[in-house]
Amino acid sequence: MYELRKVEKKFPGVHALKTVDFKIGRGEIVGLVGENGAGKSTLMKVIFGAYQPDDGAITIDGKTVRFQNPRQAMEHGIGMVFQEQSLITNLTVMENIFLGYEQQFVKMGVINWKAMASAARMQLQKVKLDIDPATVTSKLSFAQRQLVELAKVLTLEERIDGDLVILLDEPTSVLSKEEVELLFKLVRELRSRASFIFVSHRLDEVIDLSDRIYVMKDGAVVDVVETDNADVDAIQHKMVGREVNKEYYREQRQKPYQADKTLVKADGLGVPPRYSGLSFELHPGEVLCLVGTEGSGREAILRTIFGLETPTAGTLAIKGEQIRRFSAQAGVAHGVGYVPRERKIEGIVGGLNVYENMTLSQMGNYSRSGVLRIGEEKKLARDWISKLAIKTPSEHKDCGGLSGGNQQKVVLAKWRSGGSDIMLLDHPTRGLDIGAKEDVYEMIRDMSEAGVGIVLVADTLEEAIGLSHTIIVLKDGEVQKRFDCTPGSKPSLYDLVHYMI
Amino acid sequence: MSFERIKTHLPWITLVLLVAIVGMADANFLRPHNLINMAADIVPLFIMALGMTFAIYIGGIDLSAQSVANMTTVIATVALPVFGVGAALICVVAGLGLGALSGFVTTRLLVPSFVSTLAVGGIAYSAGQYLSGQRALYMNAEMRDASFGWMVGNSFGIPHEIFVGGVLVLAAVFLQNRTTFGRALKAVGAGEPAAVASGINVARVKIMAFALSGMLAAIAGLLFSVKLSGGSPTIANGFLLPAIVAVLVGGTPLTGGVGGVVNTLIGTLIVAVIRSSMLYFEIDATQQQMVFGLVLIAAIALTIDRSKMRIVK
Repeated sequence: MYELRKVEKKFPGVHALKTVDFKIGRGEIVGLVGENGAGKSTLMKVIFGAYQPDDGAITIDGKTVRFQNPRQAMEHGIGMVFQEQSLITNLTVMENIFLGYEQQFVKMGVINWKAMASAARMQLQKVKLDIDPATVTSKLSFAQRQLVELAKVLTLEERIDGDLVILLDEPTSVLSKEEVELLFKLVRELRSRASFIFVSHRLDEVIDLSDRIYVMKDGAVVDVVETDNADVDAIQHKMVGREVNKEYYREQRQKPYQADKTLVKADGLGVPPRYSGLSFELHPGEVLCLVGTEGSGREAILRTIFGLETPTAGTLAIKGEQIRRFSAQAGVAHGVGYVPRERKIEGIVGGLNVYENMTLSQMGNYSRSGVLRIGEEKKLARDWISKLAIKTPSEHKDCGGLSGGNQQKVVLAKWRSGGSDIMLLDHPTRGLDIGAKEDVYEMIRDMSEAGVGIVLVADTLEEAIGLSHTIIVLKDGEVQKRFDCTPGSKPSLYDLVHYMI
Repeated sequence: MSFERIKTHLPWITLVLLVAIVGMADANFLRPHNLINMAADIVPLFIMALGMTFAIYIGGIDLSAQSVANMTTVIATVALPVFGVGAALICVVAGLGLGALSGFVTTRLLVPSFVSTLAVGGIAYSAGQYLSGQRALYMNAEMRDASFGWMVGNSFGIPHEIFVGGVLVLAAVFLQNRTTFGRALKAVGAGEPAAVASGINVARVKIMAFALSGMLAAIAGLLFSVKLSGGSPTIANGFLLPAIVAVLVGGTPLTGGVGGVVNTLIGTLIVAVIRSSMLYFEIDATQQQMVFGLVLIAAIALTIDRSKMRIVK
């Protein structure tokens, strides 16, 4: 029914899709898995019309089609349920469902709200959501909003003639176990109305729900697996290209930390409503992992320690000194380094070159009465370029033009070269390829060995378990459980998830 | 070669083309004497544009520059008989203070700079009117020459204004390229969130940028009043638009982060050539602002970084 043939997509410096063949039949549920950067999101964007392929063909029932934008794709029956939801939260549910298609309810320039409400109610029935369509969207829970989004996509059913293909982008990432089951049940029932493409990095869920699974790696489809004989380990192997084992997270390099010294001590710390009542100690050499779902307060905690947030409750002491004025300057002065999640926005300054980025947090060390000693800056940059094997033509290269992994190394070099011995890492491996990820893991072990205390918010639970000495599980801003992660007796995924949701 | 790659070279290419076009229309334009006089005439505007560069470089704007210059012409004229050369110091401090006030309002009270500087400009304008009694004032020629004659003299056939402008541009280049302040300025302009997350005191950098802008606007006003031997609260009207045009056509976009003081030097020369070409092409003086308005629109549309400004209001 819907088919992609030999689709190619290139971006400057990246071959994002390599001769991808993809098809989905009527009423089928197809899984799409792959690591970050494997090309899943590019493929999805091609399917729902946000990107146009450079080469290859898209056909629906054998007819070649070409979408200039998502709206044209929708008119051909392709709908998308976004991971970061696309609903406008201050509109009502029905306004969201018919956003851009209000014309059908307009009589003489006035919207007939009653007609819209009853039409919306009909759509909500499809997803078994029993709410008043006039509810303001912000009042709904995350799971409910997701269903509204699905209902919105299902309005296509009345609007177009052909079959529906609905993309579900990581729909389960923030749902509880029960909610996931409800969603899956619903999707199975909706097969009579539409086909689904289910994108997720949770392999067990993909295997549970899909009929066939496309496995992507480095922009190519490396395998198509029938779910009947699917095996998690085998698929994982194909996604990563080799076994994921303990070696991956450098567990053999995990040494006990110095429990007798304390770098950071939080006591009843809180920035309500994001988190509250947080107490912990961070020791030299310790990797402390904050685990929780999106919105559990992990990022706010890192930002408080760095000084970008001012707590309204509790106390924070860094190296025995009580912090009273919270500012990034104070954090840097106390030797705290922050590797933010938004690398391109908060990590590096695009437009500044490598050495300018590396000394940005420590210009005082490379200047005399305000005049920079640029020669020394360049020397520092050259040292760290070779120390961390940063791939750049020279220290004069604009950091905005480096690849993600190398940008991350520049950010790490910035803090480490300035002598930061408390490192806050927020998703340090997000969007990096495997090799770059392993480099980051290696650097984390190096820092730990050098006596740096690290607070980590990991990209995946596996990463958190593999890297950490200690795990603190958070839910809705409150500590649920603390795990010791000595190699050999690390908690399992299941142990953690149990406390997360 | 893509437009993005040509873009950085566009200012000087424009300058060379303009000079060639005007030179072809009238060869007299290219005579060294004429070019030197043209450069000397533009120096007050250049100094104002130099200050404006700092405000625009961090993604802000300084709409008070013209009013600050107006006010300083009055202060200089009023203060000259009492303080002599010291009048210059008063002017500089006044400009610095008003600029810092704009910076404070922008960073601490979180008022966008186009409003904060407009308001501070109103204060400066009205201060000028109050001090002058709303009249044009004249400097005593002897006193002026004794204290500030060095600013407007002539050595080796080159007017001293050019040296004043030269010293200031060198100082600005040093500040921009060699100091921690210049580096912080660049970081704030190119990526403010990362500058914050690197522990840079962004508010202080911004306040200093606006203070510099105010100070240079004041120096522009001082030089202007010495040149014209007097002051009035409206004497520098008509400076603001060309000063902003000079910064933007020089290649520092409204979104900040790229360009800089050397770009503004080129931009000011472009403005100077456009201005004198209007004489050659017999465009009436009253229509000049119209031309600058159109050039400004074209320059903004061409240079602005859309990725930094998704929503336009």
